[in-house]
Amino acid sequence: MTISLRDSRVLIVDDNEFNRKSLAIVIRRAGIQNIEFAVDGVDGLEKVERFRPDLVLLDVDMPNMDGLEMCRQLRRNATHAELPILFQTALDGDDEQVRCFEAGGSDFISKPIKPGECAARVRHQLERRKLFKDLAEFRGRVEKELKHAQAMQLSLLPEKRRLVEVGDRYGLRIDSHFETSSELGGDLWNVFEIDERHIGFLMADFAGHGITAAINTFRLHTLIDRFAVAWLNPAQWLSNLNNALKDVLTTGQFATAIYAVLDTGTNALTYASAGAPNPVLGTEGDLGLIDSAGLLLGVSRKARYTNRTVALPPGGFLFLYSDALIESRTADGRCIGSDRILEIVQSALDQRPDAPLAHLLDDFFANVDRPLRDDLTAVWIARR
Amino acid sequence: MDFESSTSSDGIEARLRGRLEFTDHDRLRDIVRLLESDGIKRMVIDLKDLEFIDSAGLGMLLIMQEEAEQRNVKLIVRGPRNDVKRSIDLARISEIITIET
Repeated sequence: MTISLRDSRVLIVDDNEFNRKSLAIVIRRAGIQNIEFAVDGVDGLEKVERFRPDLVLLDVDMPNMDGLEMCRQLRRNATHAELPILFQTALDGDDEQVRCFEAGGSDFISKPIKPGECAARVRHQLERRKLFKDLAEFRGRVEKELKHAQAMQLSLLPEKRRLVEVGDRYGLRIDSHFETSSELGGDLWNVFEIDERHIGFLMADFAGHGITAAINTFRLHTLIDRFAVAWLNPAQWLSNLNNALKDVLTTGQFATAIYAVLDTGTNALTYASAGAPNPVLGTEGDLGLIDSAGLLLGVSRKARYTNRTVALPPGGFLFLYSDALIESRTADGRCIGSDRILEIVQSALDQRPDAPLAHLLDDFFANVDRPLRDDLTAVWIARR
Repeated sequence: MDFESSTSSDGIEARLRGRLEFTDHDRLRDIVRLLESDGIKRMVIDLKDLEFIDSAGLGMLLIMQEEAEQRNVKLIVRGPRNDVKRSIDLARISEIITIET
């Protein structure tokens, strides 16, 4: 790969004017136009700050401050830690070459200067620096964009303040946790205030994680309001979502989802599920998993979903979670699995009845390495 | 995930071992390639020795089904057990793919 060095800046530090001029001729021939000179280490340090070179060609023996000291001082400054510094040393000066590297030199060119070698080494260092800078810039840009996208994704979720308001209105306490395995994730959840008696809950988890899955959560988000008429009929609502997603998702992309509507008047919880992990239902000291089998969303237009109804009276709770909770492996290679989910929910209720979700997650994170390998969403809806 | 395959008169069988998950997408291509052998009418994916499947793994089975359909090959997923069976049942994959116990 040939990289243009036309914009590269080189500082030549040498107390001998003849050396400065001949070095300049050599590197100008290598295609470098921006060249500045300094006559000793003190002058050199000042020129580095003013001229901001991409590379320094440095003589060792100079009055006032020698090249080794100048190099050491540059390396102590974080700004110049990566600046390529090429020493000019005598070809047979093995000790001197070692001292140059110890002072922080990147490489050296041997004296007397051989034009071909000098140009090649300068070019090599400048190309490396340019690639490094390009990569750092790219990384910086992507990080910034991901941060913006992350904020956008979080805005799809209900704010804590809103959960408190909704909780007060429907006599609920809603606790939640949302954590992506990388900057962006494929989970989405929300609450819907349907009317003064009915409140709906949606949790969806797109296959995979990262940017592709996150884009799908935005797709889903735009579809949610479109089917508002079916809000009281979960199976119908999931069918509508399924058909819309089937149109846009490629094979292998899909979501698991559960949508549940609580009737606070009759205590009936009606839900439909597309393969979401079995939710935990707790009522009057009874704890159990509820059936949530159903074809994944976005796989087939033939998918049919069924409404199931269970009782969720005051004092009871519903716990929804994404598969990361039961599939993340702990240090010993085990995972919670659907066998033990009831066990950890019961333990959380026993230990901290006032904040079981917080306790459950503390226990979980004590045994699992972060970042998680998959996105985690957990929502605990308790009726007061 | 690892797999080994064998060919018989009526088709191809791939036996999967270990964990089928997000990181196995590249291995999927190797299995899809098996469908390209001449005259294949039937392919069995044996999951008897598979210990775990995540949702990305389920996605791979769905991709296999589509790839097989396009080539007029009958795909059969055979013998899922324990957690793998539970995941396949939960996601109702049997509505799309023939699952033999």
